[in-house]
Amino acid sequence: MSSEQQTESDVQRRSGAYAGAIRWAENLNDTQFAYLLLLPSFLLLFVIAIAPLVMTFDLSLHSDSLRGAQQVGRFVGLDNYAALLTGRLDTVALPNPFVDPSAPFQSALFVTAIFTVVSILLETVIGFGQALVLDQDFRGRRWVRVAIILPWAVPIVIQGMIFYLIFTPGIGFGVGVAQAIGFSGTPLTNPAEAIWLIILADVWKTSAFMALLILAGLQSIDRSLYDVAKVAGASKWQQFRLVTLPLVLPTLLVAMLFRTLDAARIYGLAETMAGCTTVPTLSCLVVTTFSVRRYATAAAVAFVTAAIIGLIASIYIVRFYRSEGGI
Amino acid sequence: MSSTTGDSETSSEPAERGGGRDADDAGPYTRWVRRSIDDPRRTYRAMFYVVTIFFLVTTLFPFYWLLVVALTPEDALSNIGLTPNGFNPGSFVEVFQVLPFHVYMFNSFVIALSTTVVVLVLASFAGYVFGRIDFPGRAPLMLLLLAISFFPPAGFIIPLFQLFTGNVEVLGVSSPMLFNTPFAIMLPAGALYMPLSIFILTTFYGQIPDGLEDAARVEGATRFGALFRVIVPLSAPGVATAGVLTFIYVYNEFFFSFLMTNGEAENWAPLVWGILGYQTQYTALYNLMAASSIIGLLPVAILVVLAQEKIISGLTSGALKE
Repeated sequence: MSSEQQTESDVQRRSGAYAGAIRWAENLNDTQFAYLLLLPSFLLLFVIAIAPLVMTFDLSLHSDSLRGAQQVGRFVGLDNYAALLTGRLDTVALPNPFVDPSAPFQSALFVTAIFTVVSILLETVIGFGQALVLDQDFRGRRWVRVAIILPWAVPIVIQGMIFYLIFTPGIGFGVGVAQAIGFSGTPLTNPAEAIWLIILADVWKTSAFMALLILAGLQSIDRSLYDVAKVAGASKWQQFRLVTLPLVLPTLLVAMLFRTLDAARIYGLAETMAGCTTVPTLSCLVVTTFSVRRYATAAAVAFVTAAIIGLIASIYIVRFYRSEGGI
Repeated sequence: MSSTTGDSETSSEPAERGGGRDADDAGPYTRWVRRSIDDPRRTYRAMFYVVTIFFLVTTLFPFYWLLVVALTPEDALSNIGLTPNGFNPGSFVEVFQVLPFHVYMFNSFVIALSTTVVVLVLASFAGYVFGRIDFPGRAPLMLLLLAISFFPPAGFIIPLFQLFTGNVEVLGVSSPMLFNTPFAIMLPAGALYMPLSIFILTTFYGQIPDGLEDAARVEGATRFGALFRVIVPLSAPGVATAGVLTFIYVYNEFFFSFLMTNGEAENWAPLVWGILGYQTQYTALYNLMAASSIIGLLPVAILVVLAQEKIISGLTSGALKE
């Protein structure tokens, strides 16, 4: 009781408005207080992410307005989406030829899909290898771990710059290596070759991320299971196949899903290494159509990108919801 | 030749384990192979070292080669191999003379640091609520948060660009002109990486025993007092984890850093524009691109060395939230 009065006087010594606000917050019930504290972060998320996504959808329902003062033309419903999928917009609005010059949107879908699938498969295998190394006890483990994490912390622009230099003709040793396996002398300007180099750069940077998540899974395995396996006469390979792999699998799948969501929005690496005109990913296509003031088309591509990623994310979210069911 | 001798000997005397008599007439490689066959653990050990060295070389070699390019003099910049064609540490000075690279670095630092502070404050509020208060709507709001953290930046760049260039009117008031200010990068980057911090802090704040908070409240602390004088200090490792990750993510961010400024150093353009600036229509200063990349790497490299445990725990708890 006395301490409460002390608080009161403590508060009153400060300015009236501040004290009033504090007292008002103190008198809220738990639910009201919870929403008060969530207000700033969700306000930020609303202004930056939620509202713009809705506005993107709204923009995508209009026609492009190339000459008028308006950003977009009249309301056309789902016309832009139909045009995208049937390829009607291709030669007019979408500048980037890739696999098939007459179908840039399909090309972008294809490029993004190839990049996502191949880089994640490679990252999973290499990340697993790195995790198995980091799971061992040996001298200098701390420094090996630093070395393996280091690429993960490299800014995208620097990652792109490193691999741009490696594969620049006349400068980097990578051109010779690439030519030895059948690539042309200017691999970064050739779309079908540049994509593999971009995958290589992504694998170099992001395998460490997979490694760390898989390592967390490895370290949660009960070590006595390995003793049991050894006593039963299992070889190292059998221990891996029968103990390690099944127990790490759930973690592995979450990690792969997580990486998929990240890989599907690739933009910076493609832009710095080869340029968006050579390797048009979906995000690239949004920016290039946007920069030629085709806002409605850009919005339609953007919304399709968000929808694809949202669809993959919903797998993870449903899983999360089930496991957090008790909250 | 010696291996055949070794083979015949092992087969004739299978019980003998790498004994002294074998070692005399077999070569070192044969002896090693034989001992490895007898004791598979040696083979695993050797495989382990080979694999470890392979990973070390593949992850570190690009950094080494970047240094090689940076040290190569400008007139010798062709077909750079494993060692620099000459030695020119002056490129690390030239970087600052050709472009105001220190300004780009400063801009990136200010943007990353202030975003981190704002994110930590907002995420502390949200983490406290999600970690310690049971209220209706908790589960759907956390799901919304999770969903937003997966949004691709391309999905909201167009309206955001219009918003930040003063082209959106709300109730007759047009939006502030944020393009070419640090806020145009801070706001979207902060919003995009805040959910991760909220998840990390929710875990840490949720672990503080209720008794400690109750004690502070009985002692007369206000709700905010209990949060910032008891919960946050006791969760210092969690706050550091969220802070380190947010800083690295914002410093490394490409999408908004590239699109939300016109690239002039005095317009708060960050590192991205500094590094890309050495390639112009007329020249490509490869050694300066490499040197500036190394300088730009230093802050994150130092953070990784100093805070690797925090990074690992943050990434795993943030991603594998179950």
